[in-house]
Amino acid sequence: MDLVRFYARNSQEVLGLLGQHASLVAISTVVAMLVGVPLGVVLTRRPAWRAPVLGLANVFQTIPSLALFGFLIPLPFIGGIGATTAIVALVVYALLPIVRNTYTGIAGVDPAVREAGRGMGMTDWQLLTQVELPLGLGVILAGVRVATVVSVGTTTIAAAIGAGGLGVYIFRGVAVVDDTLILAGALPAALMALAADALFGLAERRFAWRGK
Amino acid sequence: MTAGWADGRTGGWWLLAIASLIGACRHGDRIVVGSKNFTESDLLGEIVAQQIERRTGLPVERRFHLGGTFVCHQAITSGQIGMYVEYTGTAYTAVLKHAPVQDPDSVYRSVAAEYATRFGLTWGKPFGFNNTFAIAVRRPDAARYGLHTISDLARAAPRWHAGFGYEFLERSDGFAGLTRTYGLRFAAPPTAMDLGLTYRALADGKVDVIAGNSTDGQIAALGLVALEDDRHYFPPYQAAVVSRAQLLGRYPAVANALAQLEGKISDQEMRRLNALADVAHKDIATIARDWLRTNLP
Repeated sequence: MDLVRFYARNSQEVLGLLGQHASLVAISTVVAMLVGVPLGVVLTRRPAWRAPVLGLANVFQTIPSLALFGFLIPLPFIGGIGATTAIVALVVYALLPIVRNTYTGIAGVDPAVREAGRGMGMTDWQLLTQVELPLGLGVILAGVRVATVVSVGTTTIAAAIGAGGLGVYIFRGVAVVDDTLILAGALPAALMALAADALFGLAERRFAWRGK
Repeated sequence: MTAGWADGRTGGWWLLAIASLIGACRHGDRIVVGSKNFTESDLLGEIVAQQIERRTGLPVERRFHLGGTFVCHQAITSGQIGMYVEYTGTAYTAVLKHAPVQDPDSVYRSVAAEYATRFGLTWGKPFGFNNTFAIAVRRPDAARYGLHTISDLARAAPRWHAGFGYEFLERSDGFAGLTRTYGLRFAAPPTAMDLGLTYRALADGKVDVIAGNSTDGQIAALGLVALEDDRHYFPPYQAAVVSRAQLLGRYPAVANALAQLEGKISDQEMRRLNALADVAHKDIATIARDWLRTNLP
């Protein structure tokens, strides 16, 4: 009840923070895909790199967010306070599932299919774009799905570095023990995570069908 | 860094969940000491904990770095912690919701009286130092614009950016009253961020003004200057141990051990101890042990 009244009184602010939150998630996930998918593909071509790269991505995930922000503040271009720093941190956290699933998706393609492609005289690029990526798409998308859903929750930390988002309510609520404020941030974040999950579920089903 | 693991990812729910879990499995003769989420609070909490351990022999459980004033207050009134170090001005304005008052003695007296009747909590005598909010700027900026007081800052502020912690932005003795008292106007609304990160942001030139704590070791270490509160906006913030009256009644030895700490830490001494932790990165338990051995042998 308090929550409804809170939203009614602060609708402008809520929508602003919601938009900030969604765009932080969207930008960081897109950047993580642009970095993570090619990286995953490279790993299938250079098996020796697999352990060190995945290990590094694993380590990135364990860095506490505030410590990461502390390191990032003095850095030029990717640091400072505000959205850029938050996005860099979110990309770092989103990399692991995307890289790993891209690798797994491509490595899991039936060797016979790959051989058939080679037998037809496909180049490595053709094999990748016409055989491996389409067949591995379901698994790759699953990785992006996990990264996105997790990222909706993780993005609440953006509020610690002045980048806004729904975490602002959570931080303010925690600072003054106001459950309504905490919920005002946490509830829409949870709904956004569910929505993102459902959306990717739809996409996965669609692409899996097309791949057959 | 003073900031801890309690980041937004885990949020307040975890803190509350953990706190209630601890409450549920608390048993026997165990004194639970809490602290707020910054170095000085952890340090004083550790000094209190060690003092009880060595003077009474009772087992002490440490619940440190809880998420701020209000989390500690809820934890102590519900009995999940037995004591923690609080500041008179904070209790007066943020917990009891009074308008800021200047006289240290009257603030202490009314806080002690109201805590006893309303919450069943006992205020010990203050440690001796006053940890007020320090409106801090970089030293070169202070020199170039001739800034000594917060009133001076009002001239430069319209071109500057401020970064404040969430608690300072929300408190009644915080940002809103400060701007009203001094007629401060910044280039943009202040950036809300984690308190521990504000020092880093100021030192690296990402913001120009922050609100730190006057006893923080980082102010001197990072080449910052705290501006004088010339209109006396901030109330006195004397630190003292707040305990559950019940607990002190049951363990008079604990009350005696705490009484030995009263009046023992000056502003300068507190700044030195904080610097040992934040600047020299010494272990808090070691700092507390050394301090107790030297001052209360």
